[in-house]
Amino acid sequence: MEAVLFYLFGALLLGGAIAAMTSRSAVAAVVWLIFAFVNAAGIYALLAAPVLAILQILIYAGAIMVLFLFVVMMLQGPTLKSELKSIGDRKWWLPVGAVLVALLNWMHGVSLEGFTNDAPAGFGEIKGVAELLLNKYMITFEMISLVLLVAIIGAVALASNKKGMPW
Amino acid sequence: MEIITKLLTETFGLQLDNTGQLVAGGLTMALIMALVMATCAIVWTWAERKVAGFIQSRYGPMRVGKYHGALQPVADMVKILGKEDIIPDDADKPLFVLAPIIIFIASLLPWAAVPFAPGFIASDMDLGLFYIFAVSSGAIVGILMAGWASNNKWALYGAARGAAQMVSYEIPLALATIPVVMRTGSLNMNDIVIGQQGGIFHWNAFHDPFLFVAFMIYFISSIAEVNRGPFDMPETESELVAGYHTEYTGMRFALFFLSEYANLFLVSCIATAVFLGGWNLPVGNAVVLPGLVFLAKAVLLVLIQIWIRWTLPRLRVDQLMHVCWKVLIPLSLLCLLGSGILLMVSGEIAA
Repeated sequence: MEAVLFYLFGALLLGGAIAAMTSRSAVAAVVWLIFAFVNAAGIYALLAAPVLAILQILIYAGAIMVLFLFVVMMLQGPTLKSELKSIGDRKWWLPVGAVLVALLNWMHGVSLEGFTNDAPAGFGEIKGVAELLLNKYMITFEMISLVLLVAIIGAVALASNKKGMPW
Repeated sequence: MEIITKLLTETFGLQLDNTGQLVAGGLTMALIMALVMATCAIVWTWAERKVAGFIQSRYGPMRVGKYHGALQPVADMVKILGKEDIIPDDADKPLFVLAPIIIFIASLLPWAAVPFAPGFIASDMDLGLFYIFAVSSGAIVGILMAGWASNNKWALYGAARGAAQMVSYEIPLALATIPVVMRTGSLNMNDIVIGQQGGIFHWNAFHDPFLFVAFMIYFISSIAEVNRGPFDMPETESELVAGYHTEYTGMRFALFFLSEYANLFLVSCIATAVFLGGWNLPVGNAVVLPGLVFLAKAVLLVLIQIWIRWTLPRLRVDQLMHVCWKVLIPLSLLCLLGSGILLMVSGEIAA
């Protein structure tokens, strides 16, 4: 059952990603990317990480992709004439892909000492995640939120005063 | 789900293993939830017109069906199914077809975690509340797709407004429920309802002032989240024709309509479960007719939402954003802080 679901989600994820890269319309590409993200969430759920699965849907498929859609729509305007050329014109992605595959192959060979197949009980549950986030990695977590705060302040400063910065 | 599988195995004598139980129970539950959604649309369109009529001193539908136009929604449904299915020539056809389906799915999925009665919940998952917010955010993508694919300026404006509004109001909506999660110590919808046993002052909304304010914030944001008046900017008839579903007809339009009324009922059900004690009675610990008690509370909330829609005039877009970012979000953060301090002082923190 799990294996069937894993291959199903995996195949759909890859299919969605490929369709996102090759689709000619930017909006369609974003929609395919959302589809790929939802399938990635399915794989997280299979890996006993329900929090990660739901965060994936909430943040990536929900919030960030909505932002992408917004930007694409606003920049392209309400016209459906695609300005994107076929991806077949660009040959440079072939070596990049080859490097990525080689990297994956190398990682496959690296010894997996210290990693176990089975996560400790409750690892991916909300309590496990919260304990790691608010104890062990608290400083990192707070620093990331500080970075986000700086970004918010910057955005507000840019948008609020057309004459220049408030300072 | 337990009730359903029990019914299937014992009453109908089905022989099922674990996977079979999961699949059969899940399918039955999904069917029930789809029926709940359809019933929502039928009952609420009628109720909405009758309440609107009452508020505006007129009768509302009176002719179809014997009693007060009771069959009006059925007549409407027949009419809408008989309409021509139009896809504009310049529309982005795959996205145009996909958009209502995505919105419908996003409004069907959250029902899986709504606890109607003890044991009557499609999926008793630990992250229930979190799950509901996550899957219902998919509707925003559907709205943007509908607006874009229609290739119509009203639809695009409506979609942009709708997405901005829903993304913004999701924040106070979720923040308002966090004090409840802190008090209960769980995101499981069943646990949240069980934690409110013992009379009206144990319900989260009336437990302490901070939670009451949180309930109010949730209620206001939920009206905005389902795009209803006075927050129905995405579909303002007077400026945008119909907003993001301007170009839709027939069954595709019906899917938008169905999702809207299902969402209306959904946010009321969540408010009932999270803030108003779910199936618990206002007095005592006894569980009497839990499903009916739950539905009665949810129906009351829906009627209040209809009342608000037909009483208040529509806000402007900037006023809408002002309310969200400058009033509701700071207020919900204060609630979070206040109820956290209260929990610490009273020593009520769930271990």
